[in-house]
Amino acid sequence: MSVDWSWIADHTDDLTTLTVNHLQAALSAVFFGLLISLPLAVLAHRVRPLRGLLLGLSNILFTIPSIAVFVLLLPVSGLTRTTTVTGLTIYTLVVLLRNTVEGLDSVPQKTKEAAKAMGTKPLRALLTVELPLALPVIMAGVRIATVMSISLVSVATYIGDGGLGQLFTDGFQRDFPTPVIAGVVLTLLLALVADALLVAVQYVLTPWNRRRREA
Amino acid sequence: MPPISRRPLNRRTLLGGLFAAASVPALSACSGGITSLNGDGGGGSGGGSSKGGVTIGTANFTENQVLGYLYAAALDAAGVKTTVRPNLGTREILIPALRGGDVDLLPEYQGALLHYLDPKAKATEEGEMQNALAVALPRGLQILPYGEAEDSDAFVVTRETADEYGLTSLADLARHNGKLVIGAAPEVKKRTVGAVGLKDVYGVEFKEFKSLDSSGPLVKGALKKGDVDVANLFTTDTDIAANDWVVLTDPKNLIPGQHVVPLVADRKADSTVRKALARLGAALTTEHLTELNRLVDKERKDPEDVANDWAAKHGITKNEKD
Amino acid sequence: MFELFKDLGAWLVDGDQWAGQDGIGHRLTEHLQYSLLATLVAAVIALPIGLLIGHTGRGAFVAINLASFGRALPTVGLVVLVFLASGLSMWPVYVALVALAVPAIVTNTYAGMSAVDPEVRDAARGQGMRGHQVLFQVELPLALPLVMTGLRLALIQVVATATIAAYVSFGGLGRYVFDGLAQRDLVQVLGGAVLVALVAVVLDLALSGLQRALFRHRPAKSA
Repeated sequence: MSVDWSWIADHTDDLTTLTVNHLQAALSAVFFGLLISLPLAVLAHRVRPLRGLLLGLSNILFTIPSIAVFVLLLPVSGLTRTTTVTGLTIYTLVVLLRNTVEGLDSVPQKTKEAAKAMGTKPLRALLTVELPLALPVIMAGVRIATVMSISLVSVATYIGDGGLGQLFTDGFQRDFPTPVIAGVVLTLLLALVADALLVAVQYVLTPWNRRRREA
Repeated sequence: MPPISRRPLNRRTLLGGLFAAASVPALSACSGGITSLNGDGGGGSGGGSSKGGVTIGTANFTENQVLGYLYAAALDAAGVKTTVRPNLGTREILIPALRGGDVDLLPEYQGALLHYLDPKAKATEEGEMQNALAVALPRGLQILPYGEAEDSDAFVVTRETADEYGLTSLADLARHNGKLVIGAAPEVKKRTVGAVGLKDVYGVEFKEFKSLDSSGPLVKGALKKGDVDVANLFTTDTDIAANDWVVLTDPKNLIPGQHVVPLVADRKADSTVRKALARLGAALTTEHLTELNRLVDKERKDPEDVANDWAAKHGITKNEKD
Repeated sequence: MFELFKDLGAWLVDGDQWAGQDGIGHRLTEHLQYSLLATLVAAVIALPIGLLIGHTGRGAFVAINLASFGRALPTVGLVVLVFLASGLSMWPVYVALVALAVPAIVTNTYAGMSAVDPEVRDAARGQGMRGHQVLFQVELPLALPLVMTGLRLALIQVVATATIAAYVSFGGLGRYVFDGLAQRDLVQVLGGAVLVALVAVVLDLALSGLQRALFRHRPAKSA
């Protein structure tokens, strides 16, 4: 099982295209996952009875094999990027929803009361007090969801998408390890870099944490 | 080359993503299939236009990708913009995608396509099949003239198995009902040119049907290892000769002729597309296709490269690369 | 969609669907076998690592990062890679499943161990307990809830992912998913998916039941 370096050298353009394609699918999924989980999490945080229901539902979705989700979406969105992104989005929900709810829970009651006492409207309090304070926990969820999505994208190769996952099918069909190794390594690198970038984003977004740590 | 989807990554995909979110609630309301989306078929023949570009879908085996890139080369040379989408899956997945508009053109195989559309089809001769196909095709799709090249299904055993059980034809399999294991792609279990037809036409019953792949590493590996006794392979697979495997004869003509034939959506079928693919079909022989398969599978050449090289060498395209 | 679920009902209760090589009974057994064996092997590998790191406090950084690295491993790629190296065997499936389960178990075990109050640990040492006694009689029982969480998380993921065995010609409930994809038989795909989810949920409940049973013997101490 040796790597055919000349193949890699000949295919840098293709590898770049696939990597971009791969990342785009994963990031879209996290984006839409956040878009869906943020309001749901606020709801679950405020309305206690909904909490168990929503979290339980997202947990159950998580137990469905991803390949099955992609196939079951075919009648709805066909062999398109939409199918891939929708499937991946479903998997991000379990992490994003749980972490966002936990993040909101972690905001001290006193802080919320103080905001209220100062006459801050509920929506404003949510946006300017609760969510920022919940950010570290939410960001931890975003990091996990991103890494998970990056590793899951390749499953969509079974429906002709899947970014770097196409290299796995290709190598499999032709008994050719080089594309497979390239795909695995690039996926890992992508996850590593994306995770590091998110750490940096979090650092920038939560200056108060930084100050506390430095103090 | 790795099979790469060359769709642009920009706005379209972003919108696709937006639609993704919108389609989540739609899940619960959906009852139809992609077939119900078949509104833009153009209603009958003619009237199509390839101006907006043609998306070629290919199945989950390498030969089909080679054919897809050959179609692309021929169409590119005729000034049609093309996109090749490799490894989309089986015919069962591809044809709904063609009807739904995800792809516009498929490299197909006469007999297999006919049996997919009409499991009871009797035609076996090329001309007859072409007519039967035209009748069986759903609205919005059409086949173009079939090509010279042919890749048929073959049921193959190892030399040792052939000797041990005295197998030369498919009819011989029925003498060992309940003893032999067949390996083939999962869809072959339900296909006429497959387990269904073997039972109906030859009375063959296998001990087990093992779901593997389309003339790929799984089915060939299983045949070599002895995990399966009979394997469904393609006649253009050079491994059959290389391993001295025995292709069982088909005295009752279960397996129809499998000339390569373009299946295209009406919306894209204009004279440019017809002419370009007809020229390609006439020039590409079975030997060429077998050799192109070998280059891809054994020499690890890119399907796109071997297709372009062949097209240039055979006057389909101008010789661009030296 | 409604039609699909109605057909699913028929599919699940069809007697033929339960019998034989390709019957639900057989596929279910295979799926359980792949999942439980893989999780067991992963636990044998991951628990000592997590405990050791938690106990000694050494190598935590490396282990946690390796674990998140492991989370990024694309299962399909790993399966294909091992398939190309080992040929047609169960190795690709087991390697991929174990690789999937190990990080979850290591991180949670370590998290459980590091959450143990250092004062409790010191008190145990002060009473003359040896290293291994502290580990097994004090730290491990206190860390157990998180250890179990790790095992449960790993098992759920393994059950869902064991579907991939069908991609390399083997059985399990993934057979229905991959065959259903090839045949565009969505009822079969949905049937496979629902059964997998059901197995995951049932196993998870069983493990959480086990966890509760384990705790009953000790006074609830952790807040």
